[in-house]
Amino acid sequence: MSFVIGIGILNLFIALGLAPLFEGVARKLKALVHSRIGPPLIQPYYDLLKLLGKEDIQPQGMYFARVVPWICFATVATAALFVPMGTDRAPLGAAGDAILFIYIVTLVAVCLIMTAAASENPFAFIGASREMMLQLTVEPVLVIALITAALNARSFGIGDMANWYYFKGPSISMLLATIFLFLALQAQVGKLPFDMAEAESEIVGGLFIEQSGPKYALLRWTLMAKQIIFASLFVQVFIPWPRIEILVLDILIHLAKVLGLVLLIGLIDVVNPRLRIDQAVKYYLVLVFFSLGAVAFAVIGA
Amino acid sequence: MGPIVLLFIGFLLLVTGAMVAIATHRWRLVCSWLSFVFVLLAGGCFLYLAILVFTSGPIAMAGPLLILPGIGASLTIAIDPLSALLLLIVSIISSCTTLFSVRYTLRYQGESLVRYYPFLLFLFATIVGVVSTRDMLFFIAFWEMMTLASYALVVFERGNAVSLRAGFIYFLVTHVATACLVMAAIVLYVKTPAPHSFSFDSLSASLGAIVAANSALVHLILALFFIGFVTKAGVLPFGFWLPNAYPAAPSGATAVFAGALEKAGIYGVVRIFCELLPISHYSYVWGQVIAIFGAISIFVGTMSALTQDDSKRLMSFHAIGQIGYMLLGIGLGVFLLPINPPLATIALVAGLFHMINHSWFKPCLFLNAGSILYKTGTRDLNKVGGLLRIMPFTGATAIIASLSIAGIPPLNGFSSKLLIFESSIMSGVGSPLFIILGLVAIFISAVTLASFLKFLNSAFLGKLYAEGGIDTQKDVPLSMKIPQGVLAFLCILFGVVPLLPMRMIHSAISSILPANYSPAAGFLFGTSLPGFSLNLGQGVIGAWNPLWALLAMAILFALGFFISKAGMARTREAETWYGGREHVVEHVRYAPHSFYNPFKQIFAFTIKGIKFEGMYPRAISLPRVTMPGRLKAAFDIDHWLYYPFARGFMRLSRWFSRVHVGIPQVYILWIILGVIACIIVLFLLPAG
Repeated sequence: MSFVIGIGILNLFIALGLAPLFEGVARKLKALVHSRIGPPLIQPYYDLLKLLGKEDIQPQGMYFARVVPWICFATVATAALFVPMGTDRAPLGAAGDAILFIYIVTLVAVCLIMTAAASENPFAFIGASREMMLQLTVEPVLVIALITAALNARSFGIGDMANWYYFKGPSISMLLATIFLFLALQAQVGKLPFDMAEAESEIVGGLFIEQSGPKYALLRWTLMAKQIIFASLFVQVFIPWPRIEILVLDILIHLAKVLGLVLLIGLIDVVNPRLRIDQAVKYYLVLVFFSLGAVAFAVIGA
Repeated sequence: MGPIVLLFIGFLLLVTGAMVAIATHRWRLVCSWLSFVFVLLAGGCFLYLAILVFTSGPIAMAGPLLILPGIGASLTIAIDPLSALLLLIVSIISSCTTLFSVRYTLRYQGESLVRYYPFLLFLFATIVGVVSTRDMLFFIAFWEMMTLASYALVVFERGNAVSLRAGFIYFLVTHVATACLVMAAIVLYVKTPAPHSFSFDSLSASLGAIVAANSALVHLILALFFIGFVTKAGVLPFGFWLPNAYPAAPSGATAVFAGALEKAGIYGVVRIFCELLPISHYSYVWGQVIAIFGAISIFVGTMSALTQDDSKRLMSFHAIGQIGYMLLGIGLGVFLLPINPPLATIALVAGLFHMINHSWFKPCLFLNAGSILYKTGTRDLNKVGGLLRIMPFTGATAIIASLSIAGIPPLNGFSSKLLIFESSIMSGVGSPLFIILGLVAIFISAVTLASFLKFLNSAFLGKLYAEGGIDTQKDVPLSMKIPQGVLAFLCILFGVVPLLPMRMIHSAISSILPANYSPAAGFLFGTSLPGFSLNLGQGVIGAWNPLWALLAMAILFALGFFISKAGMARTREAETWYGGREHVVEHVRYAPHSFYNPFKQIFAFTIKGIKFEGMYPRAISLPRVTMPGRLKAAFDIDHWLYYPFARGFMRLSRWFSRVHVGIPQVYILWIILGVIACIIVLFLLPAG
């Protein structure tokens, strides 16, 4: 029990506490590509702290809109408890499996969309509509990748999948799933070329246009944490090596892998232009079709 | 007499209630409240009976209530746990919808209530009859009465041509379906041993004999039963009547249709394919058929729902989609019966669990749509918005029910969908077909979410807007709020403690399968109190324990709350800023028909001039049956008997009319010629 609470706190620390730091590193990389010096590594912490003290402007008479950012934050933090981060099992792994993880992540999107819709701004509605369309087409890729792992491991537990893959070694189906999930990652964490839901230059922040102050801080924090959670899931299930069986070292290795992935996501983000939503939808529908190949290989046991 | 007497008391209460409603229909509120009281009492009887069955096993009458010796039918009454599940649903849905109707029917000032409450109460009574009888003849009799009562409710708005047309199609289609049931029953009946009998047990034995003889007749019988039941349940393509008929009825009745009536179809499918049909390779084949039809309904029904802007029509399409989920689970279970008992049990539990869950969230949504209709007078989502401000309670229940149908944890839809997904994918190790069906189900679950977010965003969130004005001070009456609250509460309850209903369903499943066939609930789902973990015998393959997740979420919610308050930021209310311009609401609204447009366009196409939106034709026009020209001519007696004579006569007359030239001298000439002709004729005639 105390072990579970321990790794629970560890996961929360990684997903919430370290997420702004990873964001800072990604910003530094972005600056490097732009030939700028860039902000200090801990700038995202400053941003959040500053936002926490700013005035909170709320839509009139819509009490619902005031609660949703907290639910959003709580949901994403709960999602962190269902993914193992450097350990061989997730803190709440016994209480929920991969399907639950998928739906908790969906709940985050639902909260963002409902926050946006509650604000009555038409730009927010456009952002909500786009976010949902992306979710519709990207979610199947995530589902198919996890199902491939589940079929191989004969279990839906995320920890079981990681352990199975670690001991079994690479296989065709898992490698295919790795590739497809990587292609879906950019949209899952809302980075270019798939950030149409925010699209600052086009719909002025879309989902977040009416958010300000502490609520906006929580929502930004949520997005940073979401990136770390997805990166953790990816490296834990689909790149489970190396593992040393010493807890501290495993966690450090995990953090290094996550950092590498975050940098890669940041690099793709900075060198790509934004796609239109219809292009993104078509792209992912095609991707869904091809990713069925991974399931096919998993069925025949390859 | 024993506890079975409660069933009769409930039944009599409903029938008495219907008569009282007829007697008092002129005093609208009196009639409504009296009907509600009768329904509530009857519902209490049924609920108590259902709980009794779950705690202390099946209840049956010692002997038949009524015997028709000539044809071997006897009205045998027995409540096993499967019937008790349906009784549970009927008891709650009936009370909720009748209470909702009390004030709601005041909308229809022009329509007489004598065409509403009596039929509604009669409908409840017949559904109870359907699920509690164990004799096919009486089953079909109740089934037919159920159809007639529901038809009367569909055409409640007599003056509305759309309702009448939808009602007519409903009437026609469901009677074809009933004919299928009758045929299947008769085919089985004549195969029973010498004193023929309609009882389920002897029909089951005769089906077993046919299965043992391995005759192709089994497929015919099963196909007829299947078509008969799923037409009522609304599975595509047999359920094409549904999106027109459901919205036509008053919202209270629609909620009954979605909550209880279509569940009778699912009940029939389970009875036939799990109990009457012995476990054989026919289960293997027909399980796949059921699951494929389920998946088609899931996909087509829900994709079409995405394009709808009429709230009740949108939900009707979702009713089709959700029925698909139930059939997918049940079909998978039937398919696995001969090969994998533990997984088959899980799949059947999944299907029936979704059936119960659907009975909570879909009626709740129909009642929400009814509240919107009551308040604003429209079902068109393009014409309303921001209603959460004036009906916060309805809005909250709509959010709960919408997230529940979309399968968002920790609500009840999630638990059953999780079971359906995991069992279909785990069965895929042996049969890849079910992986595809499972993926369709998962993908469409997200489409369901998209569709209901559209409903919530446009109707309840956003800017307050109602075309034609709205009273912003008054909420809907309390009697309309309570039913929605009860149903939303059940959504949460069944979501937070999923193992409680799953144990009930497990007992229902194991009571209709052969003894000792399905593993114990404790083995399959674990023994923890609130949550479950799936176990097929080789270790845990999946888990969902809502209490732990909720506990974590509550703590983290508090954390988020304190962090956001830590900066002690000032808060201020402000109106949304539209660039400082004067505006009218229509100009700054994002109307629901613009939601998801790029996505909808991908799934829109045209075949032979019929426009399909989201896989479903925009307007189905039934093909006009025309007779071949020659045959038509043969039936047309005028054409070959009368017209030739008439035409000849006319021609003759016209020819004669040419003598009328209008000159007197010519007429005199004619007369002289005529007289000469007469004289010549008289001379030529023989004398005498």
